[in-house]
Amino acid sequence: MAVLIMVALVVAVMLGLVIGPVSIAATRILGDAFSHLGIGHSTLTSTQSSIVWQLRAPRMVLGLLAGSMLAVAGGTYQGVFRNPLADPYLLGVAAGAGLGATLAIVDVANAATVPTWTPLLAFVGAMLAVTLTWVIGGRSMRSTAATLVLAGVAVSALFTSAQTFLQQRSSVQSIANVYIWLLGSLANASWHSVLVVIPYVVVCALVCVLAGRALDVMSVGDDEARSLGLSVRSVRLVVVVASSLGTAAVVSVVGLIGFVGIIVPHIVRLLVGTSYRRILPLSVLFGAAFLVLADTVARTVMAPSELPLGVVTAVIGAPVFVVILSVRRMGHS
Amino acid sequence: MVNLEHVTLRAGAATLVSDVSLDVAAGTWCTIIGPNGAGKTTLVAAVAGLRSLATGTVSIDGQRLDELGERQRARLVAYVPQHPEIPAGMTVQEYVSLGRVAFHGVMRAPGARDRAAVLDVLERLELRAFGDRDGSTLSGGERQRMVLARALVQATKVVVLDEPTTGLDVRHQMDILELLKKEVAECGLTVIATLHDLTLAGLFTDRLVLLHHGAVLRDGSAYDVVRSAELAQSYGATLRVVNVDGHDVVVPVRGDTRR
Repeated sequence: MAVLIMVALVVAVMLGLVIGPVSIAATRILGDAFSHLGIGHSTLTSTQSSIVWQLRAPRMVLGLLAGSMLAVAGGTYQGVFRNPLADPYLLGVAAGAGLGATLAIVDVANAATVPTWTPLLAFVGAMLAVTLTWVIGGRSMRSTAATLVLAGVAVSALFTSAQTFLQQRSSVQSIANVYIWLLGSLANASWHSVLVVIPYVVVCALVCVLAGRALDVMSVGDDEARSLGLSVRSVRLVVVVASSLGTAAVVSVVGLIGFVGIIVPHIVRLLVGTSYRRILPLSVLFGAAFLVLADTVARTVMAPSELPLGVVTAVIGAPVFVVILSVRRMGHS
Repeated sequence: MVNLEHVTLRAGAATLVSDVSLDVAAGTWCTIIGPNGAGKTTLVAAVAGLRSLATGTVSIDGQRLDELGERQRARLVAYVPQHPEIPAGMTVQEYVSLGRVAFHGVMRAPGARDRAAVLDVLERLELRAFGDRDGSTLSGGERQRMVLARALVQATKVVVLDEPTTGLDVRHQMDILELLKKEVAECGLTVIATLHDLTLAGLFTDRLVLLHHGAVLRDGSAYDVVRSAELAQSYGATLRVVNVDGHDVVVPVRGDTRR
């Protein structure tokens, strides 16, 4: 199964680089890549080389990073809260980032473009929301996973209402920009945004993957996990911080791409079973492949305009999920 | 071995367990009995180190549980709750292996010794054939043996069980209790359990502790406690003790249930 997912990842990377309005053959891109390493000669013009390495490559790499982080964060949340409906936005990351981004966008008098500090404010908003959730629901000795989730619901509602209020008072152009941001997109990817996100994603995804065995122990419930020698509160704190931080970093750059964090870990679970030691590393790989493939669809089916990425992830993910689910059910009956 | 001194547990304003002191000797089986709401479950969870005490201390082998880390504590006492959660999709062997986490930690895979300990317990509890089965698909009796296997593989001197016979038919109740009795007799295990069935409690147990409104009402041999006036009084029922082939059987009598 891991091999299949690796194949999907390689295919996604190739499609991400090859497909676009300017058609450039995969072999020529490969030749250009090797020429940069001093092997052979490139057959690409400088314009073609720029299209591949300054437009498509950073977009593809950002897609890999965002997809892997959202998927592994979703899988981790499902484990730590023992709730199959948990997604990376559960504790208020989305609502917080949404409020931060809206603040940045509506604050500009002439709102033709999205200001450059939007990611920073989105990140601050996301971290603020999760911290508030933790302060309300996670600090007391008697707190459980359920109190944290409920606190997340309350904080999300609060931040979303503030965001809606701001949006309602702003110009039509600002509202359009806020909506575009909320739907999520990789269109503004650059090597700079990749460099901003990469340290967060590498560290946070690694922490989540390493927590797989602890999450397997936690699947028997808090009391029993503690009786087995697991420090449940510490594990919960570490993985919630890692998942939230990584997700906040990703959404602050690409917006609120929905569905990846919930659909990818579930598809992986259906394929390889319920152990988080397998689900989490494979979610990293499959999430990366899934988002790049979805983005390739998003920027090609209605070219030259783009479909919102969140719409594509849902349109691809939901039927795939249903097919796997029914195949599995038939296998059991 | 297990030492409780002036243990009080509260939940908000309610006192669930009130000033309980107990000394349970190594290699013995002590059962906590009492009506619903007497505080049995709370008390045994505290003995397993899973509740914060309002006052008092719980010590095992002279070590106070509240001063130990989770892993150290898990190597002193194992715990089987009344309704253990069996994750769907986890095999019997994987589930039992969870009992070794305190030894190898969550950052490492189980070592050769851990795997050997798991296989040994599966063999002892006749679960070897079920090793690759999904634990959540087992019958009630098999499932309870699997949970017991997970506790025994922790290789602790003390095992705490909350109603280990819940939901089992008579034969499977006897099976589980016989298995535990064997561990007590052959391996010197110390067992602290709660049981609803007073006849079974008397049949397998060295000592009965009768809990009522969170306090110890009577503490002694099974013979004494089942015959005590406090027993019928705490349950609010008329009980008769009949001796069958040298074993006490506790029988409720109809028509005079409330005093």
